[in-house]
Amino acid sequence: MTGSRPSRASLVVTIMRKDLIELSRDTVWLVLTPLVLVFAILIFWLLPDSVDETLTIGVYPASLAASLEGLALADGEVGLRVIGFDDEEALAAAVLGDGERAGGAVTAGLAFPTGFLLRIMTSQPTEVRVFVNADVPPEVRGALEGGVREMAFMLAGAPVPVTLLPDDEMVLGVDRAGAQVSLREQVRPLAVFFVLITESLALASLIATEVGSRTVAAIIATPARVADVVIAKGLTGTLLAFSQALVLLVVLQGLGTQPLVVLSAVLLGSLLVAAVSLLAGAAGRDFMTTLFIGVLFLIPMMIPAFALLFPGSASWWMQSLPSFGVLQALHGGATFGLGFGDLSGAFASALAWTAGLFAIGGLVLARRVARS
Amino acid sequence: MTVTAVSTTSQRKPAEAIVVDDVHFSYGKRPAVRGISFAVAPGEILGFLGPNGAGKSTTIKMLIGQYRPERGSIRVLGHDVVREREAVQSRLGVCFEEKNLYPTMSGVEHLRFFARLHGLREVDVDGLLGRVGLATRGRDRVAGYSKGMRQRLMIARALVNDPDVLVLDEPSDGLDPVSAQTIRGVIREQAEKGAAVILTTHDMWEADALSDRVAFINDGRIYAIDTPESLKLAHGKRSVRVRMRRNGEIEERVIEWSGESSAAALAEATSDGELVTVHTEEATLEAVFIEMTGRGLS
Repeated sequence: MTGSRPSRASLVVTIMRKDLIELSRDTVWLVLTPLVLVFAILIFWLLPDSVDETLTIGVYPASLAASLEGLALADGEVGLRVIGFDDEEALAAAVLGDGERAGGAVTAGLAFPTGFLLRIMTSQPTEVRVFVNADVPPEVRGALEGGVREMAFMLAGAPVPVTLLPDDEMVLGVDRAGAQVSLREQVRPLAVFFVLITESLALASLIATEVGSRTVAAIIATPARVADVVIAKGLTGTLLAFSQALVLLVVLQGLGTQPLVVLSAVLLGSLLVAAVSLLAGAAGRDFMTTLFIGVLFLIPMMIPAFALLFPGSASWWMQSLPSFGVLQALHGGATFGLGFGDLSGAFASALAWTAGLFAIGGLVLARRVARS
Repeated sequence: MTVTAVSTTSQRKPAEAIVVDDVHFSYGKRPAVRGISFAVAPGEILGFLGPNGAGKSTTIKMLIGQYRPERGSIRVLGHDVVREREAVQSRLGVCFEEKNLYPTMSGVEHLRFFARLHGLREVDVDGLLGRVGLATRGRDRVAGYSKGMRQRLMIARALVNDPDVLVLDEPSDGLDPVSAQTIRGVIREQAEKGAAVILTTHDMWEADALSDRVAFINDGRIYAIDTPESLKLAHGKRSVRVRMRRNGEIEERVIEWSGESSAAALAEATSDGELVTVHTEEATLEAVFIEMTGRGLS
């Protein structure tokens, strides 16, 4: 009995169907998948979705701090605390976070020129330097500007020409003006990546078992090639990871205003973790060694996701991690509504890493399968 | 050491289904197969005999296209196994030594999966399971199968594409005598349908009973390849065991059978007293193997 020669696509689909049947009967995977999903959703909803916008303003010279303390900012919901500085450089350092004062960071600083009071009393034009912390939104910057003018009005008894030239406004650190994000929003990429990783470990375990028990040798004794096995495993892993991440994103309302960008980022992330699964699965001998090798790869890949939780903690080396591009694209699309143009660098990095790791993972698995 | 494969049946038809010609393979610097050549005709069963590490499995792996020979060529049904792998695989059935089955899948699911890999949509799965005695357990998951049941499912899997070439690595390993007999029947049926069968086994009795020819393999070389009968006649020692009652006592004597002088010795041994029993004893394949290679099979 000789059937019609099966196409490569039908061989891949047949192997994928078999893999899905196996996974659907894997008790560990069946329990772990919904558990991780529920855990991620719970963590997300338990975290605060609002940001504490109490502002600590530094003022130079310190003698003017008292004048500002009674000032009510235009936005009544925004609290204000004023700290005086005797040195302009110390004020700038405090805004940057280096010279942090007791009670919290200084989010903005106002450096008044020498003879400021005399100038406004005599209605002479004057300039004020404003140091702004990276995460201060534009509406608060506007309030600061208004505050300075109001203070001048209070002191002089009439409007005075205080100028805050654009060149004088200094933004310190990475500019996240207008992009204030709650902890809940910051944790979203981490939750998505966590789900992707869980799915990748399930696939890695499946691959390790297939290679270890030599069932793969029986597959390649048919018209199926090693490449068909590798492609099928890669696609199965991607499909599983992507579908779980998609469920999570829908529940967490994480598709945002740029669903295509977010979905593309998640797809690349799914391919990336599937590639790691191929590597871990090919190298592992049993569930525990596969888990160990998988975690060895995946923990460093979680680091950029944690960096999103703590803005400012991202070091240069984190940008060289394979997952950085994926997480940057995911965060940019889901949280800030950035488009493909804005995230082209992140996507290029993610694509390059994914293609590279997939090629390496595929080769390693192919070699292991051929030698089984 | 120079080894020449011995063949005493020169009238055989030229084998065509499998042609292995001067094949070599090494694991790193350690040679595993050193210039093996043999052929198997359609409908013929060739038993591959040799101890562990003799090169049997490596030869099988090259035959099924898993390993690429370093030198020499292997043609299956006229196709080169390296260059025309797919053409070979679609007509090949393989039963591995390891029980490489999926524990969470049923027997039926296994056969359907492998049938699809061969491009077959409609396969008489129940009939196939019936042939190997698994008709009532086909819907059960393999995790619940005994060792023997798993082995029978592996045989059924090897037959799912009704192969023209059947490669069996220790096919009756782990089977009870009744199941082993069933499997031997299935193998014979496939050969009678025209399939070329090559099987490895440690079981001398099985090799003798099932194989049309056997090949002795040791240290990566084939020492002899012929029918079991010819090998035993050419290289084995036959004997006659005679038991006589003399003066109320049983006496036993073994006469090595080597021609007319042996007949005279037998006549002399039975001339005096009461003959109780006479048994002729043939050489076993294992004895022939030891005689030729200087080592046992286990």
